[in-house]
Amino acid sequence: MKIVVCIKQVPATGADKRYTDDLRLDRNGVEAIINPLDEYAIEQALRLLDDGSVESVTYLSMGPEQAAEALRRALAMGGDEAVLITDPALAGADEWATARVLAAALDKLAPDVALMGMASDDARGSLVPGAVAAMRSLPLLSYGSELKVAGGEARARRLSATGFDWIAAPLPVVASVTDQVGEPRYASLKGIMAAKRKPLETWSLADLGLTADELSGAALTQVTDARAPEAKPPTERIENLPAAEAAVKIADWLAARKLI
Amino acid sequence: MSNDILFLAEFNGGAPARSAIELATGAAELAKQAGGSAVGLAYGRGAADGAASLGAHGATRVVVLGDDDRPAITYAAAAVAATREAGALALLAAATPNGRDLAAALVGSLHVPAFGPVRSARIADGVIETEQATLQGRVITTSRPAEGAPTPSIVLVLANTFTPSEGGQGSAGVTQAPAAEESAFGAATVAESHEADAKVVNLEEATVIVAGGRGVGGEDGFGPLRELADALGGAVGASRAAADAGWIPYQLQIGQTGKVVKPSLYIGAGISGAIQHRVGMQTAEHVIAINRDPDAPIGEFADLFVVGDLFQIIPALTDEIRRRKGS
Amino acid sequence: MTYLPTAEHDELRAAVRELAAERIAPRAAAIDETAEFPQDLRELLAKQDLLGTCFGEEHGGTALDTIAQSILVEEIARADATTSLIPIVQKLGSLPIIIAGSDEQKDRYFPRLASGEWLIAFALTEAAAGSDVASNRMRATRDGDDYVLNGSKRFITHGSVADVLTVFALTDPAAGGRKGMSAFIVETTTPGFAAPRVEHKMGIRGSPTAELTFDDVRVPAENLVGPEGDGFKIAMATLDRSRLGIAAQAVGIAQGAVDAAVAYAADRQQFGERVVDFQGIQWMLADMASQTEAARQLTYAAAARVDENAPDLPYWTSSAKLVAGDTAMRVTTDAVQVLGGYGYITEYPVERMMRDAKITQLYEGTQQIQRLIIARQVLQRAGVAKPG
Repeated sequence: MKIVVCIKQVPATGADKRYTDDLRLDRNGVEAIINPLDEYAIEQALRLLDDGSVESVTYLSMGPEQAAEALRRALAMGGDEAVLITDPALAGADEWATARVLAAALDKLAPDVALMGMASDDARGSLVPGAVAAMRSLPLLSYGSELKVAGGEARARRLSATGFDWIAAPLPVVASVTDQVGEPRYASLKGIMAAKRKPLETWSLADLGLTADELSGAALTQVTDARAPEAKPPTERIENLPAAEAAVKIADWLAARKLI
Repeated sequence: MSNDILFLAEFNGGAPARSAIELATGAAELAKQAGGSAVGLAYGRGAADGAASLGAHGATRVVVLGDDDRPAITYAAAAVAATREAGALALLAAATPNGRDLAAALVGSLHVPAFGPVRSARIADGVIETEQATLQGRVITTSRPAEGAPTPSIVLVLANTFTPSEGGQGSAGVTQAPAAEESAFGAATVAESHEADAKVVNLEEATVIVAGGRGVGGEDGFGPLRELADALGGAVGASRAAADAGWIPYQLQIGQTGKVVKPSLYIGAGISGAIQHRVGMQTAEHVIAINRDPDAPIGEFADLFVVGDLFQIIPALTDEIRRRKGS
Repeated sequence: MTYLPTAEHDELRAAVRELAAERIAPRAAAIDETAEFPQDLRELLAKQDLLGTCFGEEHGGTALDTIAQSILVEEIARADATTSLIPIVQKLGSLPIIIAGSDEQKDRYFPRLASGEWLIAFALTEAAAGSDVASNRMRATRDGDDYVLNGSKRFITHGSVADVLTVFALTDPAAGGRKGMSAFIVETTTPGFAAPRVEHKMGIRGSPTAELTFDDVRVPAENLVGPEGDGFKIAMATLDRSRLGIAAQAVGIAQGAVDAAVAYAADRQQFGERVVDFQGIQWMLADMASQTEAARQLTYAAAARVDENAPDLPYWTSSAKLVAGDTAMRVTTDAVQVLGGYGYITEYPVERMMRDAKITQLYEGTQQIQRLIIARQVLQRAGVAKPG
């Protein structure tokens, strides 16, 4: 039983991020981390490794060479090996192209479960898991707060409108998990040291049998403008008032805006 | 290729989901701009009987993908087939897990542009143009399909982006979906179903939300918030901290990994305002924050920031509102 | 020999910093207020393999170089000085065995120390013998296959929470402290051992500083570390290395104070400007930062020489501890000054950092003892040392 976890390296939250003049995300000089939501996928995979449901965990990432750092960090948390897909033609790749490349790599790695986080922090993309499932013609178990693998099938616990369901599908599957999986573990010192010795392979588009043309110049959408949001009026504050007086002031505020 | 606008219409428990109605409204607006029709792709229990009613919200035609109570993703193959046949300009999907799953399957199968989640959309120069908040709301980007990109563009739409109007007329023409191939997506089944004891409100539909965070301190702490929500005719929500602590069900969690809401009034009590929560409510029209910590980040983007003890202020506010309403 | 941190050192620093920021820093104020030993953080550090850095891989440790160990201590101390004592003392207590212990002793104790399952402490100081180590009075009398220990120790860090101790006692009182002291490994479950009280202190309040009593405590002869009579030598060799941990701790405390002062001053406005933009404040911050950096670099230089087993090792480690300890006291005092009135109240961390910093000028050899060690080397190099 093998799991491949797809992760993405993104700029750190809170870092001074901006768009470049040619309206691409400026990744230079910004601290790069594992996409926080991918950490939950890593944690879920490692739990399945810990309890013996699966025998190996491989990490897969598509990105610039620097993304190898994110893969090493994942390996430091646990797992066996990693694969980085890097190619100049992939700069600025959109979700479809990302899914196409990951799907090709996953076909090559042929895991029982291809696992991802539910979205990426920087561009808020969330379509990659489903697109990969479509391209690979595999069932999709998405938005799981927990994943189980046993008896030739995978099950995901998914919130419903009124409670939760366990959705099941026969292996192999594509799955995504949410942050309800539980706190991702820290990389221990031994984990950090061991990560250096774990295998990390680098693949190019050619290794996947893909060409830049196929990925249609890598983007079907274009950003035509990037601006700061509308300035809001400064926050009004109510402080140091007894509760009853504060309540009156708040009610006045609501009434002035016709909210009560 | 037509100037039609498709939209996904989810039905559950025999009735259209609110997203179906909002997307019908949006599709109708865009179709008008494009010079085409709004065409729904309906799925889920109640789709067959309810499809025609989407005409009251602007749909000209509705294709029924299926009428069963099964995971939304199992309708993907039918959605793909119907979309291929329709040759539309754009397809609107709700930015909910089900909507995203189907949108993803469409993008993966058809290789078309994808946008979203968007906060507005219009037709410009014959193509769809969208606005979305990126980088945690710090940058608003405008996007459109690249030159010569195939259609339709898939557009993820947040709740409350399109506002349905009351009392529309009209009945949509209903057709059955074209035959679809067997798809691996169909292999997903509901193995177990667990209902919660309490009834849970769909926060995306609430116009007033009173949300509690770590400062509420416990399940009981939500009592005063419920009272205030009642007095305002609204719903109770929460930050992730409160959901993780088990004080309220996860369906009520607002934030990056929970619900994204756009009420006209949002009151956050005992919520610090971390970015993961903020992205779930920052487009609310009016934001009031109540917190003991004068430096809480939520104070920076709230319209009104009340520094004080929520357990004193909220009951006092509830009383004052009831007094004014004369109840 | 290089003492520029490598990319791997940076990676380690980043990992420990993240852990410290998320799990240790938020606990620091409460630990100080309740003066409770942070058992939860001890378990966290053990789980992250951070208590085994001075042990070999054959014993389950990670055998980090001394610069890496210093970085680790520094990053924890930056968040909380008390918690940084956990890895510091784990090494301090183990050093006598590392230096002079038999392979059998190492095999017996190191695996559980490296995993953090057991804590170890270093029991040298007595009520009447602080700087004057040779005046120790505790006795160890041979009786058949055992030694029987009698006496008491004072100011023993972690003495009341440790599972095992390295204890120094006179096997030959007539020969005096320098020639008649021996080192022993004592498990704290041994009958006759007690930790009757812990001190109430100015700082590092969460670290239990204990008085220990030994009342006919029997230890097997296999627990003698090195030959009889080598105790003083082993103790000195231990302190020559362990004081570097204090230097790293002091650097960390100082850095934490610098960071807190900068953050506060950037936020605080007076007279219509940010406090951090006043030239007077900038001069203070510049002195604080550059002096902390100097202490850090000296600590790394000393660490590199420890790994090389340099012949003048004591000169280096004493210099680092002297400079770092004095720097920490000065920098934390200045940090309180930068915060003004807010620096004096417990809502802000700098007053705790100032109280914590003081101990680095006192333990593991007072600054005065460090100066004697350094002066000895200075005179020797200049060829003017007193003969004999």
